[in-house]
Amino acid sequence: MQQVFTKAMARNIFLGGAGFFLIIYLLLAYDSFQQIPIRDHAVNLTPSVLRGKYLFDTNDCIGCHTVNGEGAYYAPELGNVYKRRGPEFIKAWIHAQPSGAPGRRQMPNFHFNADQLNDITAYLQWLSNIDTNKWPPNIEG
Amino acid sequence: MNYQSQRVAKPYFIAALGLFVGQIVFGLIAGLQYLNGTFLFPALPFDVVHMSHTNLLIVWLLMAFMGAAYFIVPEEAQTELYSPKLALITFWVFLAAGAVTILSYLFVPYTQLAAMTGNAVLPTMGRGYLEQPLPIKVGIVLVALSLLFNVTMTLIKGRKTSINIILVGSLWGLALLFLPAFYFPQDTVKASFGWWWVVHGWVEGDWELILGALLGFILIKMTGVDREIIEKWIYIIIAMTLISGLVGIGHHYYYTGAPAYWIWLGSIFSALEPIPFMLLIAFSFKTLLQRRREHPNKAAMLWAMGTPIMAFLGAGLWGFMITLAPVQYYIHGTQFTAAHGHLAFFGAYAMIALAIISYAMPLLRGRTANSMVAQRWEMTGFWFMTLSMIGITLALTGAGIVTLFLQRAAEDPMGFMQVQDKARVFFWIREFFGVSFFTGLLIYLRSFFFAGEYEYANEMKQALSK
Amino acid sequence: MTPHINSDTDATQDLPGDLAIWIFIFAELVVFGIFFAAYAFARSTHVTLFNASQLTLNRDNGFANTLILVTSSYFVVRANQAIKAGHNKVCGHWLSGALGLGGGFLLLKLAEFHQDFVHGINLSTNLFYMFYLSLTFFHFMHVIMGMVILAVVAYKAYTGHYSAEHHTGVETGGSYWHMVDLVWIILFALVYVIH
Repeated sequence: MQQVFTKAMARNIFLGGAGFFLIIYLLLAYDSFQQIPIRDHAVNLTPSVLRGKYLFDTNDCIGCHTVNGEGAYYAPELGNVYKRRGPEFIKAWIHAQPSGAPGRRQMPNFHFNADQLNDITAYLQWLSNIDTNKWPPNIEG
Repeated sequence: MNYQSQRVAKPYFIAALGLFVGQIVFGLIAGLQYLNGTFLFPALPFDVVHMSHTNLLIVWLLMAFMGAAYFIVPEEAQTELYSPKLALITFWVFLAAGAVTILSYLFVPYTQLAAMTGNAVLPTMGRGYLEQPLPIKVGIVLVALSLLFNVTMTLIKGRKTSINIILVGSLWGLALLFLPAFYFPQDTVKASFGWWWVVHGWVEGDWELILGALLGFILIKMTGVDREIIEKWIYIIIAMTLISGLVGIGHHYYYTGAPAYWIWLGSIFSALEPIPFMLLIAFSFKTLLQRRREHPNKAAMLWAMGTPIMAFLGAGLWGFMITLAPVQYYIHGTQFTAAHGHLAFFGAYAMIALAIISYAMPLLRGRTANSMVAQRWEMTGFWFMTLSMIGITLALTGAGIVTLFLQRAAEDPMGFMQVQDKARVFFWIREFFGVSFFTGLLIYLRSFFFAGEYEYANEMKQALSK
Repeated sequence: MTPHINSDTDATQDLPGDLAIWIFIFAELVVFGIFFAAYAFARSTHVTLFNASQLTLNRDNGFANTLILVTSSYFVVRANQAIKAGHNKVCGHWLSGALGLGGGFLLLKLAEFHQDFVHGINLSTNLFYMFYLSLTFFHFMHVIMGMVILAVVAYKAYTGHYSAEHHTGVETGGSYWHMVDLVWIILFALVYVIH
């Protein structure tokens, strides 16, 4: 075959390929945004859950923990912690930090009041009901 | 160096290296906290160290990319930079913003920082890599706009080479892809979906374009191979990057609440993501073999040739290892991801940044290349850092394997902290290689403090006398 | 040793290009190949689901589309023959014909997608429809891409851009179209027909 492959053709493959897959991705993303509220039960995003989420974000919980595998890997998974530990344990745990046990990884005390602890627990409960395609493999996260 | 205005790149490169040192220091502290949880607590909780480590990484890489843009765009356009003054002002603004960000992490509790900076009005804080307070995020956009204005105006008035078009185009992409940082919906699953537009869009998309443009530029300059051939290859490589990477973003959507079809689509397309890195290796070594001149800057050539190999290992191989859905099911959110992240960020982006710095800094200091003594120090630093990073990667992979067998795929799974204790030996190995990486960095930095340049006559005499 | 090195560098003057375009065509086929393999794998684990869902597809429509694409490929072959004889205009006509057939394919496929949409079928309905929709849509996009390429080639043919000696564009555009056609034939057999 005597064809010469020019730089212009390479550029066209780049532009064509990028445009092509961008369109495909955008359509898929649009479809995903239709499905996500069903899969994560967005109807259950009550004011309490949202307050809990705000506390969760502004205290940088994912700076140590993961949520559905995203975050830092210094501390346990929180996506399913509600199912693993239950609400009372969670509130008592957060309240009792830091443990101060020598050498053990420390979680700061965030000075939450009772309402705030309830909000955070409500958010963790909402997280635990997201359809994550059966992840994590077991309750330990 | 052919244009006076290219000089503005110098402070960018120096600051990049300074911030790089800071990043490694925080990395060492974080590594120690894995071994001793009370180290520096409560003064510096792990999350603060962690965000300082990752944010410094982003800032120093951006610093280096910006310096590279100010160095390359005028040279390729064959004209002076549109406004060197603006570039210098932008430098100081960006450096100040970076410093303020890190200092505020260190000295202000995160909640208070959020309250002080209007996070309640437009929440953006509390996501990995995007922890910056709102005003800093706005500042990043302004800095990007200033850079884009400057390089685009330079490009318009000068020669429009493909390298330049790809570089300036990908800087536009970089800025546009940062905008989803302002989109933080209350629905956590949607938020995570959109967070990847920034993170995946940068490191598995747009930055690979920047990498291609920088490597292409270095190879054109150092090997004397025909520009047409090099630019053609770069186009093919970045085409493959986007063809595989755009839908390949699906490998972040398997287990985060996104629809199930991503398990298939993400696996299919992200399985192709190593291809552009293989092409990058083929292209670089083909170009090296066809070189028409021997450039005296051996150190820069070492960085330029090391980049595709390490990028392939980190992004290609370690990335592929965790990308297929059935595998990721067991290792999602473990030290496997950290291993991949370390080798990929270093191999692809830190190394290309160091490659362009290695090529440009001697020119900015008025030499074609550094003296052989300086180059030997620099190349020793290269090997120290590169091998240490491989060590860190293997150690983290080991820790990941412990989690895989004791926690994720175990009959009787252990709890998180119990498993972390079992992986302790790997965290020790990681810290050991971290220290050796830092040593390599110091050796590398030492190379900047030798006077004099590469002298053909001297080197020739030495070579003949052997 | 020296002559060998010289001939090597001479040969590689064109080699990057040729190598690159083959890598690209190979990559396209690899994507579809992996996609088909994934389909086959998923099918093997959900045979009853796949068989039941397959029956709901409009096979007549699919068959008509197969005929349309095969015919359009024949048109492209005729366009190539015409340009080899130096007939720019005839080449353009055959390409326009192929473009028209491509448009027909798109219309039929859109009608099919519309039916699916009306029945509330989407990517999350079940595993079979996930594959059916994403494979056919992915191919649909390739048909559009192929038509854009053919349109450019046809325009160049009409404006006398090619000659009997220089007509790489027609060959390249034609090859792409044949690939799109080939992929559809496999897709039709795999997704619509084989039980």
